Amino acid sequence: MYGMIHRAMRQMVFEQLGEEAWLALEHRLKIGPTELLTGMVYEDTLTFEIVAEAAARFNLTVDECLFEFGRYWIRYAEQGSLSSIMTFTGQDLASFIANLDRLHLAVGAAMPGTRLPSFTTLERNSGHLVVEYRSDRMGLENFVCGLFHGLMDRFDTHGDVAITSRGEKSVVFEIRYHDGQ
Amino acid sequence: MNLSEDQIGALLPAFMHVDHALKISAMGPAIARHLPHVRVGMLCAEAFTIVNFGIAQFFERKTGVEAIRIISLAGNVSLSGAAIFHENGCLLAVRFVLSEETFASGTLDLSDFGHSDPVVLSSMLIALQRAMLEESQATAIELAHERQRSADLLERTSRVAGYMAHDFNNLLSIIQLNTKRLSSRFGHDAKVEKLANIIHETASRGSDVTQSLMTLSQQQIDTLQPISVDDVITDNAAILRSLVGSTISLNINLQAAQRKSIVSYNGLLNGLINLLINAREAMPQGGRIDLSTSVSSGLIPSESGPQIPKPCDYIAIRVADNGHGMSDALLSRAFEPLFSSKPNGTGLGLASVRNFVGEMGGDVWLESATGQGTTVHLRLPVAGSSVAPFTGVVDTMSSTSLDAKGQQRILLVEDEPYALEALFEMLESEGHAVTACKSGEEALIAVGQETYDVLLSDIVMPGQNGTEVARQASAAQPSIKVILMSGYVPDSASLEPGWMFLHKPMDSAELLRVISA
Repeated sequence: MYGMIHRAMRQMVFEQLGEEAWLALEHRLKIGPTELLTGMVYEDTLTFEIVAEAAARFNLTVDECLFEFGRYWIRYAEQGSLSSIMTFTGQDLASFIANLDRLHLAVGAAMPGTRLPSFTTLERNSGHLVVEYRSDRMGLENFVCGLFHGLMDRFDTHGDVAITSRGEKSVVFEIRYHDGQ
Repeated sequence: MNLSEDQIGALLPAFMHVDHALKISAMGPAIARHLPHVRVGMLCAEAFTIVNFGIAQFFERKTGVEAIRIISLAGNVSLSGAAIFHENGCLLAVRFVLSEETFASGTLDLSDFGHSDPVVLSSMLIALQRAMLEESQATAIELAHERQRSADLLERTSRVAGYMAHDFNNLLSIIQLNTKRLSSRFGHDAKVEKLANIIHETASRGSDVTQSLMTLSQQQIDTLQPISVDDVITDNAAILRSLVGSTISLNINLQAAQRKSIVSYNGLLNGLINLLINAREAMPQGGRIDLSTSVSSGLIPSESGPQIPKPCDYIAIRVADNGHGMSDALLSRAFEPLFSSKPNGTGLGLASVRNFVGEMGGDVWLESATGQGTTVHLRLPVAGSSVAPFTGVVDTMSSTSLDAKGQQRILLVEDEPYALEALFEMLESEGHAVTACKSGEEALIAVGQETYDVLLSDIVMPGQNGTEVARQASAAQPSIKVILMSGYVPDSASLEPGWMFLHKPMDSAELLRVISA
């Protein structure tokens, strides 16, 4: 995965456990600033090692950590240099998810070598979305689930995300939500 | 091909259609979203201004495609694209104009643009590149901080290693000096002599360990003591000859055997090697190099600062080749660090020679002309030959200091009591008159009260350090011979030309030789 993901994980550890915890993680995995280069594409194994090491420090399972990280990623992106792109992608949950592939099209053009997933809205009703997630990487459903929760936070909505079916390279999510007010 | 309004709206979310009366007959979802007051059936002129057409002439062209720019009357929405004229009116195939402000402000989003709109992809790419640039700048700063942290750590480690070497060398020095005392007092007893030798040898092995620490601390100050330049050349003649190669004859003529200069042995040898390599490379087809030494008197301008040239005896070293020589332009830059006329040259050879000679209180210059070879002249002050300029300090006793047996008045400064005691006893036993001081401050008081032939001082001491004591003692008594000793020389302690320097732990015989040199 690209280095921006690693930077986000570092920021999450910084904020929740402090700088020393991240330095200990770096020391344990023998990594440093050269593994945090934004536009660099790193082996997935390295990213998973970082997540697993962070999970141990958060006292979470890897799946729980992936979920929390997905949720955090939205906050990281909207508060950092990706803020304007996040704003431009959509201003409500349904349209944001509907436009994710267009966002990823631009990301793929800007960062060659990235393996980006695809999101297709299968059903779109008031307070109810059915979204198919397709990726050649499996095992990231909890991260995606966290992303949807992060988006609900972003658009001040509340709700639940459930997996309704799984294919070889796809997972279908059902999102039920309502306004926060 | 007929497309429904919904299909057109999916391709061009901000499209509009006007009839021949210029009434809006259809519009895309993005118009409805951002301009809710615009209704089907409304006159276009009630909501928009067409920038590049007059309304009255709008349908003068009945067919074809024209570029069009439209602004909402409120001025908050700008659209551009194509006006496609056809028999039932005109399709305004327009899209929102995307600026940096609208992109970041959230007034528009991706849903307001068609899926195949290339401008959107370009705008997002630009925004992503900007984001990546921001992140890269942050990363670059982090990397710089990381490098600084590593450099700081290395420096701290080096400093700690240096001070460890200093302390350990001091201990070894005490052991060796006292072993020597033990040996001289009780050496007639074979058992004692044997034990003293074991202790001495073990302490010598310990100094190998401190050498590793010195390497870690990047300690590079060589021993500085009176050395015969002729001896250095003679001892290394075979190496020097092999260096120039078989096609070049090296003619050595040494005339300075009786005189010595206070220099670093390795520094002098490296300097000679650099000069011979330069001479060899100036003669790729072979030739001749003359390496000679002689003793002369004169003024040597300081290489290390704007000081008055000192009159002294000096050892002149001359390295002359009959190679291709240098032009004036080349000659003027020859000593410049990192400058080289050779394709694979580092530009460090002559620069390092000049640096070395300057540190030893000498000077170096070149004579050369294109096609006529090059001659390098080095001058190194003869040890103890410097004639001090008049400073107003009366030094009445210095001329009578050395008696027939070579006994000297020595001011000994050492903060380690055991080392001080051992050195004092050893020097006294050799017949020298020794004043022992356990600090720099005490030594400076002694300098004000008596005249000395030799200052023998440790460098690293609490309070006044050895180099500062040497500087003040030399100023007060210009003929004093300065011998500094230390297991570690901190960066802040700069040695002056003419001062001798011995690494601790010292060999007693070497110390006595240097004192009487």
